[in-house]
Amino acid sequence: MTTVLIILALLVGAYLVAVLEGWVSTGRFRPAAPVLSGVALLGRESLVPRKPDRIFFEVGPVLLLVSAVLAAAVLPLSPGLIITDLATGALFVNAALAYVMVALLMAGWGPDGAYAMVGGFRFLGQLVGYSMPIVMTIVGVAMRAESLVTTQIVESQATLPNAVYQPVGFVVFFVAAMSVCFLPPFDLPTAPGELAGGVTAEYTGWRLAVMRLARAVLVVTLAASVTVFYLGGWNGPVLPPWAWTAAKTLAVAAVMLVAGRHVPRLREEHLLAWYWKIAIPLALLNILYVGIVLIAGSSSSMSM
Amino acid sequence: MPLYVALLVGAIMFGIGLYGALSQTNLVMIMMGVEVMLGGALVNLVAFWRFLHPTVYPGQTFFLIIMTVMALDMAVGFGVGTARFRARGSVEAEEAGELKG
Amino acid sequence: MILQTAFMGLFGIAAIWFAVVVFRTHSMVRSALALLFSQAALGAMFLAMQAEFLGVLQIMMMATEMAIMAIFMVMFMMDPGGLGQMEMTHQKRLSQAAGVIGAFAALGIAFLAGWGNPAATAPGPQAQLRGLGLDLMERSMLIFETAGVTILTAMVAATAVAVATRSATKRKEDRE
Repeated sequence: MTTVLIILALLVGAYLVAVLEGWVSTGRFRPAAPVLSGVALLGRESLVPRKPDRIFFEVGPVLLLVSAVLAAAVLPLSPGLIITDLATGALFVNAALAYVMVALLMAGWGPDGAYAMVGGFRFLGQLVGYSMPIVMTIVGVAMRAESLVTTQIVESQATLPNAVYQPVGFVVFFVAAMSVCFLPPFDLPTAPGELAGGVTAEYTGWRLAVMRLARAVLVVTLAASVTVFYLGGWNGPVLPPWAWTAAKTLAVAAVMLVAGRHVPRLREEHLLAWYWKIAIPLALLNILYVGIVLIAGSSSSMSM
Repeated sequence: MPLYVALLVGAIMFGIGLYGALSQTNLVMIMMGVEVMLGGALVNLVAFWRFLHPTVYPGQTFFLIIMTVMALDMAVGFGVGTARFRARGSVEAEEAGELKG
Repeated sequence: MILQTAFMGLFGIAAIWFAVVVFRTHSMVRSALALLFSQAALGAMFLAMQAEFLGVLQIMMMATEMAIMAIFMVMFMMDPGGLGQMEMTHQKRLSQAAGVIGAFAALGIAFLAGWGNPAATAPGPQAQLRGLGLDLMERSMLIFETAGVTILTAMVAATAVAVATRSATKRKEDRE
């Protein structure tokens, strides 16, 4: 029952993200567009390029969808409404998201096309940048909650959400989360306009539909993880808990989609240089800062 | 019984890795053989921790150290490989005869 | 207990199968990703052995590690797509013998040594995380710190070895 509810929530979220993305990028609000284009894609023939690496070509889009859904499995929608409450939840999110890169690498290598392969390997380079900051900022969150369990992380933010408690970590995590789901300034693997779609270039028909759905689910998952780790999850007055999580997730997704439209696409070497020279030191300082605040807080509460 | 299943898997992984590390000519493939061997070692470590001393945690610490070694051998190996590829244009073990002392 | 053994055997067979594929396929990217799935199957096996943290850690670390291996394979191999069916092995007989002997030696020790009574239950995942953390920060702290310093040394050393000398870069630029 819980599983079905979470999957439904993910699908609704993906639909809303697709509408929002269309609205942001074309300027027209068309609520039926995702459904129509989905049906159109399903109706079209799904071409297989000449001499593909067939296994990778087929598995790539499906693995992308699976990893996004798996990462969502440990994020709570409201108290008790979570698929599995693992003791290592915060680490599991990272483990599942690491396979986003594997899926894109497969989808890039599989179809035997130059643009697709460049896109896949670009995302691997992007991973070298974002993977360290995303783990290090989660360390700061786990330190405050004294737990890796996602529900306990949400409960630890009952008085003050982490976005206020550790703003540096929030900013770094937000940017890294945008790179994971390759949203505009970081859309190096797809890069419309320079790679002609990149990893999605060779996909057509239902395979492309799966890929687009996976991308939308991925955006929802990342927005939900920002909500859970930094914005206090279900905590909030008046409204029921699930409504707070949903509203915050949608707001984060909207900010992610809108923010990217006003920034030019980064170059790979700038992306790596900035991640390693700015984001990683900031994430380390964030860990130090949280540690100092925690020790200061605990020593003042004890009778020294 | 489960302990023996784990040890069996570990031993077979070790054998496959040893075969790979000895038989491949390319540096990258040799390193993959080493990784498979270390994977076999990891299985044994977890199995010994779980089935013999589940309440003693240095076993898990040892696991983390082995995982560090796996990452390190990749880093150093690729560093050497890049340098060699620059100098000689290949990382084949057959063409590295001049390294013989 | 039986269910646990069954799952361990299943993931173990998957790990062994993918490890064999690593050395049997001609495509280098397939080879690297087969290694990834072999190690991920080992991670699933650790989960079946109730070592939740170690299993998730293994699954997470190997994804990055083996994908980076894939890119180096494509860089360094003459035939990364495996279309030419190149022979890339040597001393086959010797290696097969060594592999079989190695496996049987390990098996002999595994089955002949008396391991005593296996423990029936393990602590829960939360208790494990706590115990591991306390162990890392107390008894094994020195070892852990040494590992950290070793990583730093290896990072510096590998970068220093791999970075091109200034003269080499200049020569390349002149040629272009």
